[in-house]
Amino acid sequence: MSRLAPVVIDNGTGFTKMGFAGNNDPSFIQPTVIATNPTTSNQSSNLAAKRGAEDLDFYIGDEAVANSKTYALNYPIRHGQIDNWDHMERYWEQSIFKYLRCEPEDHSFLLTEPPLNPPENRENTAEIMFESFNVQGLYIAVQAVLALAASWTSSKVSEQTLTGTVIDSGDGVTHVIPVAEGYVIGSSIKSVPIAGRDLTSFVQNLLRERGENMIPAEDSMTVAQRIKEQYSYVCPDIVKEFQKYEQEGDRYFKTYEGVHSVTGQPYTVDVGFERFLAPEIFFNPEIASSDYLTPLPEVVDTVVQTSPIDVRRGLYKNIVLSGGSTMFENFGKRLQRDIKRIADTRLRRSEVLSGGRMQSTPMEVNVISHKKQRYAVWFGGSLLASTGEFHSYCHTKAEYDEVGPSIARHNRVFGTVG
Amino acid sequence: MIILEYSNRIIEDTLNARFNPENKPKPIEMSFVDFDGVSYHLSTLEGQDTKLLLSIRWKCWPELVSYGANDVLQREYGPWITSPESGYDFSLQFDLENLGADPEELIKKVGLLKRNAMAAPYERAFDAQAMAEKEENWDPSSSQLMAVHYRDGEAVYIQHQQDRVTVIFSTLFKEETDRIFAKVFFHEFAEVRKKSIFSHCPQVLYSNREPPLEIRYVPGLLDSESQGYVTFVLFPRNYIPGAVREETISRIQIYRDYLHYHLKCSKAYMHSRMRARVSEFLKVLNRAKPEDNSGEKKLASGRTFRRS
Amino acid sequence: MSNTLRPYLGAVRQTLTAAMCLENFSSQVAERHNKPEVETSTSKEVLLNPVIISRNDKEKVLIETSVNSLRISIAIKQADESERILAHKFTRFLTQRAESFVILRRKPIEGYDISFLITNAHTEQMYKHKLVDFIIQFMEEVDKEISEMKLSLNARLRAVSEAYLAGFN
Repeated sequence: MSRLAPVVIDNGTGFTKMGFAGNNDPSFIQPTVIATNPTTSNQSSNLAAKRGAEDLDFYIGDEAVANSKTYALNYPIRHGQIDNWDHMERYWEQSIFKYLRCEPEDHSFLLTEPPLNPPENRENTAEIMFESFNVQGLYIAVQAVLALAASWTSSKVSEQTLTGTVIDSGDGVTHVIPVAEGYVIGSSIKSVPIAGRDLTSFVQNLLRERGENMIPAEDSMTVAQRIKEQYSYVCPDIVKEFQKYEQEGDRYFKTYEGVHSVTGQPYTVDVGFERFLAPEIFFNPEIASSDYLTPLPEVVDTVVQTSPIDVRRGLYKNIVLSGGSTMFENFGKRLQRDIKRIADTRLRRSEVLSGGRMQSTPMEVNVISHKKQRYAVWFGGSLLASTGEFHSYCHTKAEYDEVGPSIARHNRVFGTVG
Repeated sequence: MIILEYSNRIIEDTLNARFNPENKPKPIEMSFVDFDGVSYHLSTLEGQDTKLLLSIRWKCWPELVSYGANDVLQREYGPWITSPESGYDFSLQFDLENLGADPEELIKKVGLLKRNAMAAPYERAFDAQAMAEKEENWDPSSSQLMAVHYRDGEAVYIQHQQDRVTVIFSTLFKEETDRIFAKVFFHEFAEVRKKSIFSHCPQVLYSNREPPLEIRYVPGLLDSESQGYVTFVLFPRNYIPGAVREETISRIQIYRDYLHYHLKCSKAYMHSRMRARVSEFLKVLNRAKPEDNSGEKKLASGRTFRRS
Repeated sequence: MSNTLRPYLGAVRQTLTAAMCLENFSSQVAERHNKPEVETSTSKEVLLNPVIISRNDKEKVLIETSVNSLRISIAIKQADESERILAHKFTRFLTQRAESFVILRRKPIEGYDISFLITNAHTEQMYKHKLVDFIIQFMEEVDKEISEMKLSLNARLRAVSEAYLAGFN
């Protein structure tokens, strides 16, 4: 029987990327949101609904957002983990049959899971995939490992290694995850509560404070998001940047043109300091709020230092970025510079403390940026699923029927022995 | 979503993005699929970002060609047809700088590529039946049974009689659950069909394992419990040329996928019911546990402390 | 048929209440081990007579007791094929979540659809009469749930068929 391409679906807190293995880009990037009909779903639990197929009355992704006025929006994934299984099952149902248009019985599926995902969640996923959709095979991959695999396409990478630190910054939360030989070092994972959404609201605040009242209230979030995505960049030094803006305003100040969604009136917004201030939150969180104060480079350094000592050099050498919020211009360079500074300071201090007797080799710090960062996890999945051995790593339907969902508790990492 | 869409989303979305004059041409290379084992390949020609090539590969293509698919495709996509890419059965080429009068209409048509290819045997049967109706002494044996094996183990058979056209789907249910749910489905289908408002709709019959009379003589039919046969009987009023005919062809074509889609949705629905039940049971069970005397005590200032 | 339901459940309740007198008992076979005797069933003197309470030949309950544990196996009413499939799916779903259920056994006993294992540890942590209530409620609810699922399945498929045929105009 001819093997059709495996399906790769990466469900994130904010966005879901889905497509077929072997492609460079996902076919669909949609928000992970499902819009259900509030009238039918509020009836005293679905146990009483005998009338018909109302549970099929829902929309997902962009269509859900478009229908948000009449339908109730639900976000089934929180902090990377699946919270509401009913909604998630329906989300997958529509993604498979409406968007991807594939018969699940003919395909193997590659799904992703966040770090520290409990094994019960994997079992539930396997139950849904095998029992409801009758998929041929299933592989649940850790997102960080896929991001590492995706980095192999970058020109900076000389050897394909599964050891590295993954900085995964999406819409909801940023994780710094150390991976050694394909295994995530769970106890060293740190999460930073700064991500896309926080940057967007910071931009929104700045615009409001400056008095850009041309923006209609209901669009302010989307406008802020678009400004952030189009015009933001990371600068090496805030003070110098402010000076540059004072001196050469014309080069740096930009205008954003928008159209009012309801009235259709065009309006313009000036974009200025928020261009470099928004991504600066990663490096100086105090400019946004006083709750969280640790800059990202420091977090990365802490993560590496709490990992086992023999992998630390490997972790510094291979710092991989993934996720939409790492796409800012010069993000990688700034991060590399700051982390190297911290590492060098530590090395010099230890030299001083040892009285100059111990000299250590300088620490090589490398932050890898590559073109597929935005959906690095999906791309890594596509790479993995298009290898010949993928089908041998998958859990097959036959195994599921024989043993049960507990087969999903352990997923073999590609490339390792045995 | 109750009725599956007829056209391919990925084709429509990608072509919409590419045909949009605001988007700069950029190289594309993607492979994707559609229901029933159809593979597509969409790419830009070497070095020419403005020329898009869309190819389709389907197991049953030679059969469709023998039933006149090429004529139908010529009619729908004439100016865009180009020689098939290697490894594929059929290709269309688009020049972004020269999209013709109505790009939106074109995109819609291209999204229906699979449906149009499959429409050939249907159209042939409809036309043949219309002709046979006019004949005085029509010989039943002159009616050709068209078989299209579009999936492993599954096929669709189309044959015309003097006053009607019969379409038989043979479908395979790998799981016993699917088979039993399908039986219920067809039972309900028959009940619904009996209602007077649906009397003009095609007649639907189902049989499990036993092939219907019309195709009993066909060689290579699988005889097993997991095989099911669905027969549609279409009368001329169901395929009056024009919008009615197009709609009928589209609807009948997606029947097999529609059936399997709803079987899966029903299973998903059962899951959500069971989840709700399980949480109710757990609530009852937790009532059996006495209240938690974890030893937390509260001070007047509001602080709690635990006595070890 | 429902006039046999009350006596049936009443009989089960009485038997369970009587059977649920469990106390801690270390294993007589292996040193320093403490196992549910009804599962190991090695020593005859700690096992009591098993009791079958049947409503009809399709629905019955098997209660096996021992000094420190009690096993209840239930055969669910399955009138036709689709009920059989639904019951099978439902019990599979439940046993998959046996850990959170605590007293549920992952595999049913031969000839039955679902089994519970209650040990002295459970009766020490939970009220006995509430446990019995739970089992009785479970038996009622499962039957109700299966028939509701069947009805809603039929209704769904009917709605789906109507939607399909409505397009042929």
